[in-house]
Amino acid sequence: MPSARGQVSPRSVSAPTDSAAPWPPVSARRLTLWPCDSGSSALPADFFFLRIQLRLSVAKGNTCMMNKGENTSIASTMWLTIGAGGSPVGLAEWSQPCDGGGPLAVGHCHPLVVQAAHEQNQVLNTNSRYLHDNIVDYAQRLSETLPEKLCVFYFLNSGSEANDLALRLARQYTGHQDVVVLDHAYHGHLSSLIDISPYKFRYLDGQKEWVHVAPLPDTYRGPYREDHPNPAMAYANEVKRVVSNAQEKGRKIAAFFVESLPSVGGQIIPPAGYFSHVAEHIHRAGGVFVADEIQVGFGRVGKHFWAFQLQGEDFVPDIVTMGKSIGNGHPVACVATTQAVSRAFEATGIEYFNTFGGSPVSCAVGLAVLDVLEKEQLQTHATCVGSFLMELLRQQKAKHPIIGDVRGVGLFIGVDLVKDEATRMPATQEADYVVTRLKENYILLSADGPGRNILKFKPPMCFSLDNAQHVVTKLDAILTDMEEKVRSCETLRLQPSSVKHPPGKCTGEERSRCTNCNPGEKGIPDIRGQMAWGLAPPLSYRTRRPEDFPERP
Amino acid sequence: MENNSMGGSVSLDILEKSGRVGHCHPEVFKAALKQMELLNTNSRFLHDNIVEYAKRLSATLPEKLSVCYFTNSGSEANDLALRLARQFRDHQDVITLDHAYHGHLSSLIEISPYKFRKGKDVKKEFVHVAPTPDTYRGKYREDHSDPASAYADEVRKIIEEAHNNGRKIAAFIAESMQSCGGQIIPPAGYFQKVAEYVHRAGGVFIADEVQVGFGRVGKHFWSFQMHGEDFVPDIVTMGKPMGNGHPMACVVTTKEIAEAFNSAGVEYFNTYGGNPVSCAVGLAVLDIIENEDLQGNATRVGNYLIELLNKQKAKHTLIGDVRMKEKRVLLSVDGPHRNVLKIKPPMCFTEENAKVMVDQLDGILTAVEEAMQAETQSVISENTPCRTKMHKDAHVELLSDSTNDPTENPSRKRNGMCTNKHSLLSKRLKT
Repeated sequence: MPSARGQVSPRSVSAPTDSAAPWPPVSARRLTLWPCDSGSSALPADFFFLRIQLRLSVAKGNTCMMNKGENTSIASTMWLTIGAGGSPVGLAEWSQPCDGGGPLAVGHCHPLVVQAAHEQNQVLNTNSRYLHDNIVDYAQRLSETLPEKLCVFYFLNSGSEANDLALRLARQYTGHQDVVVLDHAYHGHLSSLIDISPYKFRYLDGQKEWVHVAPLPDTYRGPYREDHPNPAMAYANEVKRVVSNAQEKGRKIAAFFVESLPSVGGQIIPPAGYFSHVAEHIHRAGGVFVADEIQVGFGRVGKHFWAFQLQGEDFVPDIVTMGKSIGNGHPVACVATTQAVSRAFEATGIEYFNTFGGSPVSCAVGLAVLDVLEKEQLQTHATCVGSFLMELLRQQKAKHPIIGDVRGVGLFIGVDLVKDEATRMPATQEADYVVTRLKENYILLSADGPGRNILKFKPPMCFSLDNAQHVVTKLDAILTDMEEKVRSCETLRLQPSSVKHPPGKCTGEERSRCTNCNPGEKGIPDIRGQMAWGLAPPLSYRTRRPEDFPERP
Repeated sequence: MENNSMGGSVSLDILEKSGRVGHCHPEVFKAALKQMELLNTNSRFLHDNIVEYAKRLSATLPEKLSVCYFTNSGSEANDLALRLARQFRDHQDVITLDHAYHGHLSSLIEISPYKFRKGKDVKKEFVHVAPTPDTYRGKYREDHSDPASAYADEVRKIIEEAHNNGRKIAAFIAESMQSCGGQIIPPAGYFQKVAEYVHRAGGVFIADEVQVGFGRVGKHFWSFQMHGEDFVPDIVTMGKPMGNGHPMACVVTTKEIAEAFNSAGVEYFNTYGGNPVSCAVGLAVLDIIENEDLQGNATRVGNYLIELLNKQKAKHTLIGDVRMKEKRVLLSVDGPHRNVLKIKPPMCFTEENAKVMVDQLDGILTAVEEAMQAETQSVISENTPCRTKMHKDAHVELLSDSTNDPTENPSRKRNGMCTNKHSLLSKRLKT
């Protein structure tokens, strides 16, 4: 059972022992976050922010944050205010304290993590040219979570750097250049990684000749679905086909890069056995298997520490990259690989050096995160809350036809919204609308997938059962409301600029003339127009004041 | 500044190039703690800190450079700079200087001769290498009438050749003062002329300030400003010293370049880049540089140090050149022949520290010279200090009791180097 999440308790960090620089302990209450999604397709662990009625003004020195509203058509503003003295502002009625709520794995500003960083900062922070215990200890702890074969660690600062190094390692080890990736994959923002991220390169420079794209193993929308007798084998054969095609052209495969659970591709759970079959084909072609655990590692999937372990105990990738959750907000990342791969890399004569990677503070933070994951049993917690959330969402699926699929494992869940159950056409606009409505209800979520129609749930691991219940209740209400609107006005169409009243108000003759009530597409209301009312118009960042945010019922 | 090592002896760290304001400066980690306790999120959520920090940074730069992209490391910053340059006019080629080092990422190794010449990689066809404007050891030396124009002309020739082959130049990238190349200070006027040629070819000028920015040169905040008030690069990357050890870096560029990049339609998103804690740390570092007048200190101590070292140069024949520019001491352990000792201390380095360091160096050099005189054979024995083949990792870390433990040094084991009194690294710090 997950540990009980009680009342907000003021959290304080003890004063430093160094009397030369005394400072008063700072205590700050944590705000409850209803984590669903960080609002970014590239982010793994997301968080919700409760919108707070601004009663204390910015002038009082409170920290404010504004969601600039990406993925939505309106830059709606949500202020999160944390009082300098600690008390959350106007939060009482909506808050359910979540001990250690945080942006990544273990929750915002987790005191143990903050403490570890602070203590190390006070003592020594240098770079890895100087040996330090922390990096050794951290590497050791990490290796305990991984299969024995993966025992060499490179520390870096971001997931992108990690994937770039993985690419270099693969190429040096195999002597080949080409990479096989999945469709709609995203591996990072660096030049080399955009080249292997169809999610990005389709909008930029296009596919390079050394990149080969295999179909996403999506059993809901892909070519082989849940009714196929062996989708894992079928999708793996697609990879085999891609590899053969490349080899026929005289190209040689260096690596197969895959997110262990494709995230921006739509919260995909690859069928069991897929990775093993693919690894077989890739190894035969002389390449290595790179598992990108940046978004999904560190216990998020509940059952296992690493998402690739879902594919079977016997499956071990050649290179694993990890990031995001690893430092709970601190820029850290890591690449774990086998001795063979690292020796080949070393043999090039060029050492790998990363100025900040593996610094004592980064390693101290990493160690603290591992400690917290263990102490607070967040992995088990993820399993419990994840299963509960999935169950609730499945009930919603039975109730609302717009939900085509609910898939997930642990606290990595996707809700696929469709226009039509039979055709499974992505309900892009509807998903957009749901996201906006949820934001109004103080829940931040975003949609992803090629059709931008999959609601992503990737909360911090301290997400509670109550949080789950709350989110699903709100989602239910919104979906019910949407269905009613569709039922009550078959020919809805709204012009955002001419909205005067909610659609459906006009009757008879008026309705044919009214721009608000005229037909939308195929009976689905052009609901984006509805966003024009109900939300405060976006003001410029600097001019917002408490008075701008009226009380909401 | 002074670290207590395991044995209780005090080491003077003069190579902590990323610890700009000093190890564990209390203001910095206080700011980090404060923000870490409060809120640390990512830049999808706007936060005051990133705005404040961008404002403060751009205030130190010429007005033209007004758009900031935050990343986590100098390598990421340089990679983004390349992307910006290439997106700007859709050109691909890059001109870089010989022995340059811009980062460890795939894209940067391609433009870092310091790296690709060592390994099995070959120079890519879209990379053009210009000779380093080294007036001590380069093609045109201090006796040349106009080395700046001569070296700039080399760049012009490269551009012409590239155009003849149908290639288009996207950028010229250079460290404002080359570090791994041997602490090279380009002659005055070089950057301006090169910028002219590159702009004419439709490219942009990228100044890599990752190692040398933030007041290190004393007189100016940014090293490129040494080359004249009229010289403004198109893209500036900064890193290492920004966060005093905290992983952060930044790319600053002009509005035109940023707009061209944004118009591609794909946003630039970096999960950790520009997070509130990093920006709080960056702000604290800027405050310290200002409040403690570290730039002034760099000037004063730099002058003093250079004086002492010049005395040593007169005394020891081993020292061929002592280079400095604007009070920054450049005595490095790098360079193509690995014979240049480099000193790049944190900016809080004091005159006492300088004296200590030079005294130690004096002692070591005297010992080395005595040993060299005793050498009669050309075969290098285990005990003979290597003059030229110093591993590039050899930081000169001076211990008050000069012990060295060869077994602890993995880099020495790797290249089978002989014992070298100069490389006293890898002291395991139990902190």
